[in-house]
Amino acid sequence: MASSRLPGNPQIGPMDRSGSFFKLIDTFASEIGELKKEMVQTSPAVNKEPMDIQGLESEVCGVYLQSPHCGGVGGERDSGYDSLRRRMSVLDRLTQTHPVWLLLSVSEEEAGRILLKQPPGVFLVRKSVALQRKVLSVRLKEDQSETPISHFPVRESQYTFSLDGSGISFADLFRLVAFYCISRDVLPFTLKLPEAIASAKTQKDLEEVAQLGAGFWDSALCSQRRTSPRPCRPLSRTLSPQRTNRNREDEGSKQSHTGAHCDSAPPTLRSHAPPPSFCLERRHSSGPLCFVNPLFLQTHHHHHCGENSPSHAVKPDDNPEDAEKAPMKLTGNSQESDKHTDKTKVNRKSCSPPPRPPPPRSMPHRRPAPPPPGPPAPSTRPKSMPETVAVATRKQQSSKRPAPARPPMGAKQSSPSKTASSPIPVPSNPPPPRPKKPDLESHRCHIALDDETFAQALSRAKLPPCQPPPSVPADGLLENNAGSVSIPNERGRQRLSDMSMSTSSSDSLEYSQSPGFSLGLAPSPPRHLNHQDTVEDSSEDDEDGEEEEEEDYGVGLETDLEMRLRTSFKARRRKVGVSLSGGSFILPRALKGRFRKVSGMLSSLMTPERRAVKRIAELSRDKSSYFGSLVQDYISFVQENRGCHTSGMDFLQTLRQFMTQMKAYLRQSSEMDPPIESLIPEDQIDQVLEKAMHKCVLKPLKSVIEVALHDFQVNSGAWQRLKENLAMAKTKGPHELGVDGAVPPDPMAIEKIRHKFLNMRKMYSPEKKVSLLLRVCKLIYTIMQDNSGRMYGADDFLPMLTYVVAQCDMPQLDTDIQYMMELLDPSLLQGEGGYYLTSAYGAMSLIKNFQEEQAARVLSSEARNTLHQWHRRRTTQRSVPSVDDFQNYLRVALQEVDTGCTAKTLIVHSYTTTEEVCSVCAYKFKIPDPENYALFLITEDTSQQLAPDTHPQRIKAELHSRPQAHIFHFVYRKVPNLNLCIPAVIHNGNCLQVK
Amino acid sequence: MAIRELKVCLLGDTGVGKSSIVCRFVQDHFDHNISPTIGASFLTKTVPCGSELHKFLIWDTAGQERFHSLAPMYYRGSAAAVIVYDITKLDSFQTLKKWVKELKEHGPEDIVVAIAGNKNDLGDIREVPMKEAKEFAESIAAIFIETSARNAVNVEELFQKISKQIPPLENPEVDSNESFKLTRQPTPSARRCC
Repeated sequence: MASSRLPGNPQIGPMDRSGSFFKLIDTFASEIGELKKEMVQTSPAVNKEPMDIQGLESEVCGVYLQSPHCGGVGGERDSGYDSLRRRMSVLDRLTQTHPVWLLLSVSEEEAGRILLKQPPGVFLVRKSVALQRKVLSVRLKEDQSETPISHFPVRESQYTFSLDGSGISFADLFRLVAFYCISRDVLPFTLKLPEAIASAKTQKDLEEVAQLGAGFWDSALCSQRRTSPRPCRPLSRTLSPQRTNRNREDEGSKQSHTGAHCDSAPPTLRSHAPPPSFCLERRHSSGPLCFVNPLFLQTHHHHHCGENSPSHAVKPDDNPEDAEKAPMKLTGNSQESDKHTDKTKVNRKSCSPPPRPPPPRSMPHRRPAPPPPGPPAPSTRPKSMPETVAVATRKQQSSKRPAPARPPMGAKQSSPSKTASSPIPVPSNPPPPRPKKPDLESHRCHIALDDETFAQALSRAKLPPCQPPPSVPADGLLENNAGSVSIPNERGRQRLSDMSMSTSSSDSLEYSQSPGFSLGLAPSPPRHLNHQDTVEDSSEDDEDGEEEEEEDYGVGLETDLEMRLRTSFKARRRKVGVSLSGGSFILPRALKGRFRKVSGMLSSLMTPERRAVKRIAELSRDKSSYFGSLVQDYISFVQENRGCHTSGMDFLQTLRQFMTQMKAYLRQSSEMDPPIESLIPEDQIDQVLEKAMHKCVLKPLKSVIEVALHDFQVNSGAWQRLKENLAMAKTKGPHELGVDGAVPPDPMAIEKIRHKFLNMRKMYSPEKKVSLLLRVCKLIYTIMQDNSGRMYGADDFLPMLTYVVAQCDMPQLDTDIQYMMELLDPSLLQGEGGYYLTSAYGAMSLIKNFQEEQAARVLSSEARNTLHQWHRRRTTQRSVPSVDDFQNYLRVALQEVDTGCTAKTLIVHSYTTTEEVCSVCAYKFKIPDPENYALFLITEDTSQQLAPDTHPQRIKAELHSRPQAHIFHFVYRKVPNLNLCIPAVIHNGNCLQVK
Repeated sequence: MAIRELKVCLLGDTGVGKSSIVCRFVQDHFDHNISPTIGASFLTKTVPCGSELHKFLIWDTAGQERFHSLAPMYYRGSAAAVIVYDITKLDSFQTLKKWVKELKEHGPEDIVVAIAGNKNDLGDIREVPMKEAKEFAESIAAIFIETSARNAVNVEELFQKISKQIPPLENPEVDSNESFKLTRQPTPSARRCC
């Protein structure tokens, strides 16, 4: 569809069959078209499509530092706003220069030292030892508080980062910081980037800064502060309309004269929020930078409205005028606005924040602007809110704007959207270098938000039955092309505000279902389709098989969250599909397109995790990195030498050990860039690393492992015995296997279960295998309960499971279970997955020893031993029962001469050094003279003092990963006087001798 | 509040009501926040205990003799074990003693052992005197309680007792708030004035 549009031909049936969303896009596109005309006289845009898409989207990635408002300062303008600069968003800058401000290991004192020399607003992120959390340390204004520096703890919830006291959560640390660069929220004022970073004009500048790392703060680069009057204000402009508003009142009108201004697109779109949510909406428009996890936004939103908390609401409150304007803007759309809004327009502009990047995901449509009032009059209207507004705005703008021939780069004042978009279609104006990754990512988020917004608005607008004009049949809605639907203006307004309220609400999922509906007419951009089709289809066809597949789609379908939601999601999906299937031929595709976006939205929630996994996977393939070479070497070693292990179990254990070690390595190495701590909340890091390890190590090795395990079985004769016993067990009825009462599955059900087991076998991830195992168990329960209606405990379930496993007659299941037992993340062994895995293992063991059991009615002693060993081996990893080692607990005993031992369990992360642990101990145990104490590792016959820079948690992990269990303790005690070997540096490797 | 996961293993003869007790425990005051489990052999329930939340991960075991050898896999890593017997079946009490012995020998070191005499609603056909069971429990420093899963008697209490015996975790999160506590101190005093 996109390609059918002829750019440069403004009159083309603007709304023919396009959804409102597309109309919106069209208006953007028309703007671009216009621009293009201005800049290059000739550009048949038809064939530029793809390029445009790319370019435009890449423009969209954030809030930009520069702003027209700085225009007040003449010199500034001249000095450096070239488009490069404009194109580096705050997020880009932050991401690239994290070595400078993300200083997790810096102490409070050091942070104070650094920041004292900095102007107010400058910040860094560090890790507080006392709090065991990350904190944002900010230089305050002298007069604002007694302390020059304030520390704001960062809260890391399951998937997000936020500041204490704020309701706004972010997918990662970069987004959080970027957000606070433009909006203060709970801070006393917005953050300020160090001048060298804020004013960097090129990628290279940033790289230089980044290379200095923490040294930046003491460097000349940092100290050569510009004298420019640019205060921290510029940064905050974006989100504080009222301020800029006033400042620029006159400027705005000037702009309107020159017609050079077109910053309004995104703001217009989004700024329809009612006053309380004003800044929220603003955030939206700034897209990635302000990426707000929609799931969390809702709460915040309420919070907003309810409490009207000062910190959030200040801005609108400060300037009631402005606040009122927001809604006005919304409503003043369409013709109405046409008539009376020239002035409004000006206002609007003046009050709007600084120039924005071009509209989000503008598409390369050439669609001419707005609705030629002629024939398509109805078509203009029909669209649902968002685009109506946009259209209107655009219309005004374009009509107003003289379309100045603007020098591509020169005009400072020129709206970024224009300038930004212009270079792209024009080959002679190559897009400036930009960081690729951040772009992609942020872009992704951006899309997600946009889609959501649009989708909601659209669905809202259309869903209510009363909405569609009477003349249009329901089906028409789906397919309608050139607007046969017309929504009264009034309606529109209302919707609009609705939309703004619902934007990003947590129930967005619900709404996001409907977009397919309302947008039936808008096929999604072709590039999404292929991919989408595949995934969609596979998931419909075979839920079980699809997961593995999905892993490889780069775009973001496979996020955890999505996985979690998938079931319900899919159910709905189907429903929608069914109910609409009659609608039109085109629908399925369209639906898919929409859903693709929806899933894009979902994935954006999880993007950081996926991103981290992906990044680690990439790193693991990069042999030039240490991690990559370790992994690759190990993989090829295993491929070539799988025979060197004594048993399958031995083999799996070394694999597990390797993965555990690699996880530990990743956590401490600096090869991850940016550091994983900045992307993933700390309590999630282990899971993410685990997932990454599965992908890096198990995925490539899966077939090798399978073959190896099978070979071991065959060679040892176990395979043969297993087959015989299975065959014998299969002949037994349920009663003979201990089933008493419950009705067993019939052959059909058994077949179904077999099928599920076969799918389970295809997975490389132990976790996914386990989740499929759970489905089997659930099915068994369902069958048992359906037939009797009672709750069954293990007395009934385990025999039934044994019976089912026997009936399935799949000897290969044995190695699969072994695979899961040995490779599953130890932290999952206690949960439901661990329980049923244990049961499956138990059932398999019983079957394996079926003959013996028949004879002796007990397991062979050999089998018992095996179980016992397994139990010991896997439980040594959890020295303190029920305190999960992987949740970073460390038990430390205080040994005092007179009082004996007291032990405390402390939270000690793997990156926590002995020094830090000591300081925590001193605090916990209330030691008056901590300088005389040290942390010791005590084993049965050794006692070693740990050096300050060692990592106790890693030492513990190392000890645990040894094949034999050792007894050891961490003891905090007085250093003996005259201890000559005081800093006994302990190497993880040699602190303990394996007996 | 920090959530602490506690693995609890259920042992005892088949038919003594192991899963009934747990179903009763989990189903009363059903907690909507926890994800439902797929079946009654593994159930979870979160209860507050002091400053912590205890999330019980309850592992049921099959009581038949032939599955006895699998038990170590179930009780490994358990913070507590609930050994259930049927007060109307002396045999089940004998089995209980075997379990106690096995746990002593092979179970986790610090495991909290609770002995539950179920079906105390059937007191008139009782075979195991309460006194005997209680004395036995005391002799091994175990929790003792008689329950009735059917009438929901003492089920909650059983798990509360277990909760109390779990040594509290030193919780840095709580401690680290001390600085905040300091700043809050003025408030109470102000109230006092008023």
